[in-house]
Amino acid sequence: MVDEKLVRDAQSGDEAAFARLVEACYDSIYRLALRWAGSRADAEDIAQIVCVKLGQSIRSFRFDAKFSTWLYQIVLNCARDWSRSQKRHLHDELEQEPAAHSSGADAGIQLRQVLTKVARMGEGYRETLLLVFAEGLSHAEAALILKVKESTVSWRIHEIRKQLSET
Amino acid sequence: MSDDLDKLFRDDEPAEVDPAAKARALQAAMQAYREAAPEKNSQGFLSWWRPKRDRSTSSEENKMIKTPQPWLLGGVATLAFAVFAFILVGPRPDQLSLLSASDTQSQGEAIRIPDSVRAVDIPENKTDDAQPAVAQPATQKQISAAGEQTAAQVAGQAKAGPPQPAAAEPEVAVNGIRESLANTSPAKRSAGSSAPVVDAISAEDIGRFPDTSVSESLQRVPATSADRAKAGSQAKTLAAAPPPPVGANSAPPEENEEIMVTGVRAKPSLLKRMFSKKEKADASISVAPSAADDMRAPASMPEEDRDNFKNFEINTVKRVAEEPVSTFSIDVDTSSYSFVRRSLNRGVLPPKDAVRVEEMINYFDYDYALPESKKVPFEPNVLVMDSPWAKGKKLVHIGIKGYDIPASAKPRSHLTFLLDVSGSMESPDKLPLVKQSMSMLLNSLDPKDTVAIAVYAGAAGTVLEPTAVKDKQKILDALGRLQAGGSTAGAEGIRLAYQLAASSYEKNAVNRIILATDGDFNVGITSEDKLKGFVERQRERGIYLTVLGFGEGNYQDALMQTLAQNGNGAAAYIDTLSEAQKVLVDEASSTLFPIAKDVKIQVEFNPAKVSEYRLIGYETRALKREDFNNDKVDAGEIGSGHAVTAIYEITPAGSEAAMVDELRYGSKTANRKAGGGEIAKDANTQLEYGYLKIRYKLPNATRSQLLQVPIAVDNAGNPHANDKTRAREARFASAVAGFAQLLKDPRYLDGWSYEDALKLAQANKGDDNFGYRTEFVQLIRKAMSAAAM
Repeated sequence: MVDEKLVRDAQSGDEAAFARLVEACYDSIYRLALRWAGSRADAEDIAQIVCVKLGQSIRSFRFDAKFSTWLYQIVLNCARDWSRSQKRHLHDELEQEPAAHSSGADAGIQLRQVLTKVARMGEGYRETLLLVFAEGLSHAEAALILKVKESTVSWRIHEIRKQLSET
Repeated sequence: MSDDLDKLFRDDEPAEVDPAAKARALQAAMQAYREAAPEKNSQGFLSWWRPKRDRSTSSEENKMIKTPQPWLLGGVATLAFAVFAFILVGPRPDQLSLLSASDTQSQGEAIRIPDSVRAVDIPENKTDDAQPAVAQPATQKQISAAGEQTAAQVAGQAKAGPPQPAAAEPEVAVNGIRESLANTSPAKRSAGSSAPVVDAISAEDIGRFPDTSVSESLQRVPATSADRAKAGSQAKTLAAAPPPPVGANSAPPEENEEIMVTGVRAKPSLLKRMFSKKEKADASISVAPSAADDMRAPASMPEEDRDNFKNFEINTVKRVAEEPVSTFSIDVDTSSYSFVRRSLNRGVLPPKDAVRVEEMINYFDYDYALPESKKVPFEPNVLVMDSPWAKGKKLVHIGIKGYDIPASAKPRSHLTFLLDVSGSMESPDKLPLVKQSMSMLLNSLDPKDTVAIAVYAGAAGTVLEPTAVKDKQKILDALGRLQAGGSTAGAEGIRLAYQLAASSYEKNAVNRIILATDGDFNVGITSEDKLKGFVERQRERGIYLTVLGFGEGNYQDALMQTLAQNGNGAAAYIDTLSEAQKVLVDEASSTLFPIAKDVKIQVEFNPAKVSEYRLIGYETRALKREDFNNDKVDAGEIGSGHAVTAIYEITPAGSEAAMVDELRYGSKTANRKAGGGEIAKDANTQLEYGYLKIRYKLPNATRSQLLQVPIAVDNAGNPHANDKTRAREARFASAVAGFAQLLKDPRYLDGWSYEDALKLAQANKGDDNFGYRTEFVQLIRKAMSAAAM
């Protein structure tokens, strides 16, 4: 989605290159954030935090892994941090508007239920589900992003399926 | 359902990106990008004086930072001095406030808080809330760095705060919520030592409670939900007076509001069921203001693992020259094994604190020699063998088996069941399992025995007065009526159960209370010490307590252990019906009929033959050396037919396997002192590794008796030395001990692995009539795959 040259340009201080990079990444960041948080306002918040993070740390990206892998890690970290900060202020949730989806309202609600259920299964399950199904990554790629073994990802997916089919 | 996963995500087209939001994000990103540019890496001139990390390992990035120009430094320093001098020389109060306020602001800049989280940048919808704060007299300026929420908080605070006197000194306060959040940690920690309830809420700021009422705050505690049954209108809020930090268990009931805290685990499915049931059954019980709120609250709280295990250090290697005597109380509990099995069956390694090596070993029944007469209730079996995991070391197995009371001689039993029927007991592995277990136990009782049932939840109550077992149907009916619901008042329940037990008390019978719970004592007297004292006093009256643990997720292991230990009973953990069968039917006699109590073991090692020793397990059962002969000091009890095993790992003198170095100074005198002890006579010093002493009391006695056996080198003179069965049993016990240590702390195992444990256990399974040992072999396999994950 983003070529290496653009990243290198952005790292060397080319503002236009960085702007193009954020431009190109924003949609996918937002998409993942929306699925994580479930509401547009929250997703926009997360996406913005991610963009700021990106601006701060793009120079420290060392091409050890693919840029997209690194970006996913940032998004998930920010999303997790965000969730934690939300948990502290549960009472504010009352003010949130319900999840707004352009189409398939039923599917949206069902998806939210699945995601909440999966989130409760334990650390890492929601991430795994999103990466593998929403982002369509292979188990190996997801494992790389989550810094776990590939077998763990497969196992988590298996557990998720089992859990969902039980209820 | 599994195909649905794909479909679900395909159907769910994410909403389109809002260009305005995108533009904002882009802008914020660009700013962060520019600020992060290495050229502008300044954090105020002070940063140049800070020691720089990573200089030596720097990359291109750091090389680009130019050494600060001296003239720039000088200029800035001069300017700073000038400002400082100005403040000193000509301060007028209003100027001062202006200056310091702007100073603080610029410092905020220097810390570089991202725009999105700076309180000044409140999203449009929050601006209204923030308005009152701005409208407040300018005497008090609040600058907050705690995020958007704090803006609202500032508003609330400004409203609630005491009115400032007009002439008050200007004041600048920087508030964060982090400190108040951190404050709850010590509160939880200190609560942990005295009470099993460990959650605390503290106000986020002075004058501001996190929610509008105490009950709502209590809802933040996982596993509780507030029921507004008797509460007044929702609008009744806490007065504006600053409330003190509130510990969840000590929350004072408010004048105008009654709060019921229910111990429901935050499982939405469960909640849903509860809510729907309540609404259907009785409309007068109004569920919290809006069901939607409640459904959401637990939903975003992932179910925490609140199993509570006491943390303890494992026994270390001791030098015989320095500490020749080891004393401990026997332990017949098995709950740790069941808990470990449950974890492994789910494919995860158990938490280290949940593993107690001695309980794993004692889960199995070993084929030890039985005592011949009733006068001596048990016979010590000692066997020395090579350690399977450490070369040059030996294991000393000390096995005790209590004699089996013949069925005809069994005393009458009067059992009082105390069942936890709180909401948390609803899941199938809890109350339903309790009921099944109990009906199984009924079958193994004598018709003349009596059974009483008390329950506790929101309030304690008697379900069944003491009833003879021959009226079995009546007991079963009472059991069938039990339902889970409400909170858990364990202390009240225990009182009631002791009253019931006292009403059917018979001197020569077994008077025992069997407590079945998932360990949640979250209302009532929760002080562990008080409960302990209560149970102890009752024990002296002759009523014993056995604790059966059920369920997981909230298991209060330490408390259960304490209660059972002080009540002269065993604690067992029941996870499946077959475990219930084992504890309540197959081993009913050992669970119910004590043959000896306060059994203590003391081993004195011979420094001439043993250089080091280590007791495997029994960490929580250690006794002081002087307590061995003190009959007032409580210790474990042994039931009819019970087998108890303790294993020492010893290093024979002169072996290279010794872990602790010899002392350069004074070791000889220490040796002489220890060698001149009470028993190690010259002739024996070459023949014995040590000397085993066991003290016990018969069930109704108050004076203890002593048993003593030497631990001979190479099993010399041991009648069982060449007994193949004994050797096999000892090897199996070693396999269990090794496996338990692998799970807990493998530091002394020297590379010994699950594979080795598997081989050893597999080879020494023996007859295994009940299949427990085969199950153990399976557990090792499961641990192997769980460890590989």
